[in-house]
Amino acid sequence: MRRYNPFYFILEALKSLKRNGVMTFASVAVLMSCLVVIGGFSLLVYNIDVNLENFGVMNKIEVFSNFDAGAGELEALERDIRALDNVEEVTHTTKAERLAAIKKDYDAYEDITDEENPLSDSFEVTYKDNKKVPELEMQLKQLNGVRKLTNRYDLAKKIENFKNTVMMIFLWFLIILFVVSLFIIVNTIKLALSSRKREIEIMRYVGASKWFITLPFIIEGVLIGAVSAVISFFIVKGAYSVVTRQMGDMTQVITTVNISPYNTLILLGFLGIGILTGIIGSLISIAKHLNT
Amino acid sequence: MIDFKNVVKTYPNGTVALKGISLHIDDGEFVFIVGHSGAGKTTLTKLLLGEEKPTSGHLIVGDYDLSRIPGYRVPHYRRELGVVFQDFRLLPNKTVFENVAFAMRVVGTPAKKIRRRVPAILNTVNLADKNGSFPDEISGGEQQRVALARALANNPKVIIADEPTGNIDPQMSLEIMNLLMKINKLGKTVIVVTHERELVNYYKQRVIMIKDGVIVEDKVGGTYE
Ligand SMILES: Nc1ncnc2c1ncn2[C@@H]1O[C@H](COP(=O)(O)OP(=O)(O)OP(=O)(O)O)[C@@H](O)[C@H]1O
Ligand SMILES: [Mg+2]
Repeated sequence: MRRYNPFYFILEALKSLKRNGVMTFASVAVLMSCLVVIGGFSLLVYNIDVNLENFGVMNKIEVFSNFDAGAGELEALERDIRALDNVEEVTHTTKAERLAAIKKDYDAYEDITDEENPLSDSFEVTYKDNKKVPELEMQLKQLNGVRKLTNRYDLAKKIENFKNTVMMIFLWFLIILFVVSLFIIVNTIKLALSSRKREIEIMRYVGASKWFITLPFIIEGVLIGAVSAVISFFIVKGAYSVVTRQMGDMTQVITTVNISPYNTLILLGFLGIGILTGIIGSLISIAKHLNT
Repeated sequence: MIDFKNVVKTYPNGTVALKGISLHIDDGEFVFIVGHSGAGKTTLTKLLLGEEKPTSGHLIVGDYDLSRIPGYRVPHYRRELGVVFQDFRLLPNKTVFENVAFAMRVVGTPAKKIRRRVPAILNTVNLADKNGSFPDEISGGEQQRVALARALANNPKVIIADEPTGNIDPQMSLEIMNLLMKINKLGKTVIVVTHERELVNYYKQRVIMIKDGVIVEDKVGGTYE
């Protein structure tokens, strides 16, 4: 009957992490940066997406009527808009409704009466096909009673482009950090292997199983990954709450997402990536430096 | 039972260390392997340890066919062997007791059994009083006896010693050799690689002489000239 003490492996791993403290620190620091970057960029992209939706800019153009347009003209304009090819839906908002909405948000407009209303009616046009937006804009501008359009499609495009740039930078950053993380973990484990070279040699001669010999080193990788993940989680949480508070003070236009409901998900994600990286690093090192 | 059938070992660099060895060793035998430097003695022990594989021919040890053993089975096979090297290979930061216990623990022996068995083995090699000493606190001969105790720890069927007396003085050598004989009397197969003519001639055991990778003599009660 064989019996292995599970604490043996953890203890060996901890001893070795302590013995090679500098490398352990470097491994955790780099892997942590990797996770913080993943977390930070993911949250940024997620927030961009949420804001894009809130703006409702994805497939909408807003059409503003002339200031002096009467009820009949407005009705005709709505009919004309509906008749266009690429139009899916039209929502008419009167200038009174728009003023009321603005009053609700900004105290400065409180005193303006309906007679003084500086706004005009608007039509929110939802279109079907993204690719035909320039045509639709031409058609809308030529309609009677149209004062101007807000071309939110361009804004959406800009935000999309920004998002894509962010994602590209993110990806490159991530690849580099990931490679550096792996490199450092591989070297940490290599050091651990070499400081236990004699023990490993004897273990092999007396017939210790390969898994028994390698498990402490894999656990080392797991511990590096897990510690990095937990620290990263708190860094990302802390930094996010600081940034969102600042953003909230600065502007009412941008919405920031409350990530508290996703705490478990974020932590699990970090743990998953961190531990996996640690294990891969250990395995590479074992394959390279432990010839059995 | 150990059976070499026309075993050839060629190293990757092209050196042919063994050029067709055929050899049978029964359970419980005591065998000296002698030969000049570079004859292929260590290569032979490496094959027995499953550290190297025969390039051609067959090598059977007990239930294991070492010419075709898959890597994952080698650890289990090695539990049937005890090995002793010229340079002892003890762990310097562990006591005598811990060095022997280590060999048992890493193959999953329960702690209770380790506590019971280690003193008994240390007694067998006449080291009962040194169990708390560190390797650098005892003599070369004593260190080699610790190594021997470690080789015995997992109760192997075969003991392989590659120049066990190479690093210790003649008087201590005799003691080590006596211990190996004693272990053989306890029923284990013992294979001793050595250069020491006097010892070989003194014990009158089976002597296998290797020269340039071939067996040139194999005689019970043989001598080493
Ligand atoms: N790993 C290796 N790679 C290549 N050649 C090797 C290797 N090990 C041993 N040899 C060669 O194989 C031959 C036999 O070597 P081996 O170590 O078996 O000799 P030996 O009989 O043990 O010698 P010694 O008495 O000096 O220990 C020698 O020519 C040696 O140079
Ligand atoms: Mg040799």
